[in-house]
Amino acid sequence: MIIVFLIILVITALIAIEMKDLLNSAIVLAAFSLVLTFLFFSLHALDIAIAEAAIGAGVSTVLFVVAISKTRRHEE
Amino acid sequence: MNPFLAMTYILSATSFLCLIRIVRGPTHFDRLIGLNLMVLNITAIISILAVYLNRYVYFDVALVYAILGFVSVIAISKYLTGRELHK
Repeated sequence: MIIVFLIILVITALIAIEMKDLLNSAIVLAAFSLVLTFLFFSLHALDIAIAEAAIGAGVSTVLFVVAISKTRRHEE
Repeated sequence: MNPFLAMTYILSATSFLCLIRIVRGPTHFDRLIGLNLMVLNITAIISILAVYLNRYVYFDVALVYAILGFVSVIAISKYLTGRELHK
């Protein structure tokens, strides 16, 4: 089960770099943060998992979407 | 085989299918629904492992993610409707 989520982590990291549309990158980065939360949980690091869940789901994605809405959306 | 562990294996396989939809989805809405389903899958896995390991402190992670998981989906949806985010 852990190995499946490690594979998902690597794939989401590579896809978030390679996407041309930056909104897709924000969505894939939210999935990356989600899988990272579960991996911290599976290492029995509860406080780090809670902090990663709060920052990654609540703050980071909203910050990226606000930054995309203020600037250009597509990468040239 | 333990049913708790079997259920976590099944849910990890379904979250891999959600990853395929996130990577290949033609529109933004497919990716958004895939992300939301992946949040649900991982919250369910964390809850099942908390019951299986018999440590109820572990529910806090699932609780925080269930409370905060919809904020990103709402922000991206509001951006896709074309409105300003701070209004």
